[in-house]
Amino acid sequence: MVSISLRNVCLDYPLYGAYDYSLKRRLIGHLIREPGEMRIIRAIDNVTIEAAAGARIGLAGPNGSGKSTLLRLIAGVYPPSSGSVAIQGNVVPLLGLNAGVNLDFVAEDNIALLLRISGRKPSRSVIDDIWAFTELETRMQRLPLRMFSSGMLMRVLFATATAFPADILLLDEWLSVVDEHFAEKAQERLLHLVSQAAIVIIASHDQPLLRRTCTSIINLDHGRIASTVTVEPPATHSFELREKRA
Amino acid sequence: MHHTSHSPRRPSVLHIFKIYYPDLFGGTLTVIRDICASLKDAFASAALVCSESAEPRDIVVNDVQVERVHSFGNLLSLPAAPTYPWRLWRKIAEHDLLVLHAPFPLADLVFAFGFGRNRPLVVHWHADIVSHAGLRWFIEPLMRRTLRRAKAIIVSDHVLVDNTPLLREFEDKCHVVPFGIDTTGYDWPKIEPHHVNDRGRLVLACGRLVPYKGFDVLIRAAAAHNFEVWIIGEGTERPRLEQLIQELGLGERVRLLGSVNDCERIKLMCLTDVFVMPSVTNAETFGLVQLEAMAAGRPVVNTALDTAVPRVARHGMEAITVPPGDAEKLGEAIDTLVRDPERRRRMGLAARTRALSRYSATSFREGMETVYRDAVTASCKEPASAAAPPQAAGWLDTVRIAATLAWSDMRHRYVRSLLGPFWMSLQMAIVVAVLGSVIGQMTNVDVLSRLPMLALSMTAWTFINSVVLDATTALQNSASLIRDRALPPVIFLLQCTFRQGLFALHNACVPLLLWLVLSPHDLSHALAALPGLLLFVACTFALSLVLGALATRYRDLKPIIESTLMLAFLASPVIWSSDMINHRSTVMRLNPLTHLFAVWREPLVGGHVDPVSIVYVLITLALLVFASVLTLVHLRKAAFWI
Repeated sequence: MVSISLRNVCLDYPLYGAYDYSLKRRLIGHLIREPGEMRIIRAIDNVTIEAAAGARIGLAGPNGSGKSTLLRLIAGVYPPSSGSVAIQGNVVPLLGLNAGVNLDFVAEDNIALLLRISGRKPSRSVIDDIWAFTELETRMQRLPLRMFSSGMLMRVLFATATAFPADILLLDEWLSVVDEHFAEKAQERLLHLVSQAAIVIIASHDQPLLRRTCTSIINLDHGRIASTVTVEPPATHSFELREKRA
Repeated sequence: MHHTSHSPRRPSVLHIFKIYYPDLFGGTLTVIRDICASLKDAFASAALVCSESAEPRDIVVNDVQVERVHSFGNLLSLPAAPTYPWRLWRKIAEHDLLVLHAPFPLADLVFAFGFGRNRPLVVHWHADIVSHAGLRWFIEPLMRRTLRRAKAIIVSDHVLVDNTPLLREFEDKCHVVPFGIDTTGYDWPKIEPHHVNDRGRLVLACGRLVPYKGFDVLIRAAAAHNFEVWIIGEGTERPRLEQLIQELGLGERVRLLGSVNDCERIKLMCLTDVFVMPSVTNAETFGLVQLEAMAAGRPVVNTALDTAVPRVARHGMEAITVPPGDAEKLGEAIDTLVRDPERRRRMGLAARTRALSRYSATSFREGMETVYRDAVTASCKEPASAAAPPQAAGWLDTVRIAATLAWSDMRHRYVRSLLGPFWMSLQMAIVVAVLGSVIGQMTNVDVLSRLPMLALSMTAWTFINSVVLDATTALQNSASLIRDRALPPVIFLLQCTFRQGLFALHNACVPLLLWLVLSPHDLSHALAALPGLLLFVACTFALSLVLGALATRYRDLKPIIESTLMLAFLASPVIWSSDMINHRSTVMRLNPLTHLFAVWREPLVGGHVDPVSIVYVLITLALLVFASVLTLVHLRKAAFWI
């Protein structure tokens, strides 16, 4: 059973200044009894979220309101300072696409490496499928990523990241792929991925997008849940989508 | 997946207990035997038990496949069978359902460590641990883990759940299935002629002769009254009981009958006037024998334990209940019944009725079958839970990802370069050549014969040096993977060791070539050096883990580590060997690196490792492992540091 349960979760984010990184400074601080003040901001403040399979949650809020931090906390990057986090299901965080890319490697090897990092076995057919989606020439598979234009690189990374369905999908901003023709295709694939995942959490500034895709929208402000909006039943939204695509 | 409901094959059940027929007879074994016999249409039963006998390991008892693991005797009421956990682990995969008859800590050991996770487990709770209660602190956590993992817990009466704190934690999993017995053997008409014994003073007790059964209390009670006591059963207490009988001069009236077969026992049950259950501790949870006596229409005298004992035969209805261990009260209660044939008849009838209606074999079978079936089907339905959450299954994935990353790092060296990491080997060869000639000039030793060892030491040093240096920057270099892909930071520290390990293998071709050319080839020495080399690598990894994390948290540590490594290189016998200089150099003896090199270098040249070195290295490793564990705890916060 896939579920996310955050209960009264707080996260104190330590802000390390140049001096806080210094052991010498810290030891001397102890000696002269001047306890180095660590600046801490409460990035997540008493957040409670319960999500069962089928939930599509949008996170909205101004910059620095804790959207990305909350996603990272759910992904397990940051441990909560207090409260309990219980997550059932395999979490796929798509927070940054170019993590783990080695530009010197040929495209094929990069795809294989990225798949392995996410725990998948890169078989020939899987790589070919991913490549087919990028619509790039087959011979480019053997070229180092360094030679790719940024748009092409984006295609490869996007295709790789979205190749496998996830139980819990965490998206920081809707992945956008520049080139117009491909953007449409990418959009479609992402929607498909979202529809397959049991739980999706999207952080975005784009309110219309959140309204289209999500069942509920959580507005964050300074790490607190300012309001939770339930979006009208998904029947209308799928209709809307079809309209848009037509 | 086993889709048991579709296949004609009966699901197989493995009963896990310490002992089985024919090595012993007793209440718990009767229960297991009855379960196997009554469920044989629905389940194929097998048992894995211990046995002291040297007889064949695999036997068949009443259609049940019994594997007996050799035991060297009993230790603290437990069979000393060191291979049992291993055998259990091997057997788990062959069965669809595991039934643990608790308490049996030897099996808890297997389940507590998470083996057999993919098979449903039902725990049949026969009794709590009462003897050797001093070991509770050790065994209870194991039992708790087993119970947590169990699909269902079967108890014979709800009072056990109420009175056992451990069971109360898992109350929602507990199913009450009262034992039942097949009453056909105790048929009413057959009993009628003897129904009221004219002598009116035969008292029967039955059970293994072990302390908790309280037979000594019964014997003492007999001393003050004028009834005859027969005790069925065998066990370690026999000499003591015999002595007690002799001391009290009861040889005439108290008899230890020893083991008696089922048929004979039923006959005796039907013959007797009063049946006594004098058990003194909560190890007696139910008292199956009193149920047999009830089925035979006998009045019972039992003890007020916190278990089901006084609830199976209730005070004033089917039994007289007395405080456990109180010989006087016990004697009085028996005497009351002996003197009052009418009351005996009335209680006997009530007992018989209760045994037939409340504790029938049919309801027992149905209860057990339901629990077993639910456990098997429930485990078929939840394939997802078998794939544990990522954190739990983690470490294998961690190693796999680290290895993948290290492998790709190594391949990266071959990109745009044919020689790849062999450039470093080449450099190493040059360093070794130069150093060798310099050392040859400084000391008058034979340089050529020392070259392979010099090269190997340099390789090892390069390994430890670069692992630690890499580790200090590894986390920062992989910040995006940690923060955006949520990979555990420890992967990247492990990656350093793996990567440098691969490079060291490249470098090792220099000493290997020198060794092939210059030294007599003795493979056994190389094998003898392997354990030491493993210690070396383990220490290196632990060190890199600790320093890597520290250097990420405190950035000013990196230059300190760099200069310390330089110093360590000069102060350790890497390019020189200990016999070149004064042996008693304190710095050298205190330097852990000296010993860390000695544990594998000495065996390699055919020498013996100084025990001091081994102790030194093991202590170092223990400290490093301890520090690593602390580091791993703090590494959860690594995302804040990068």
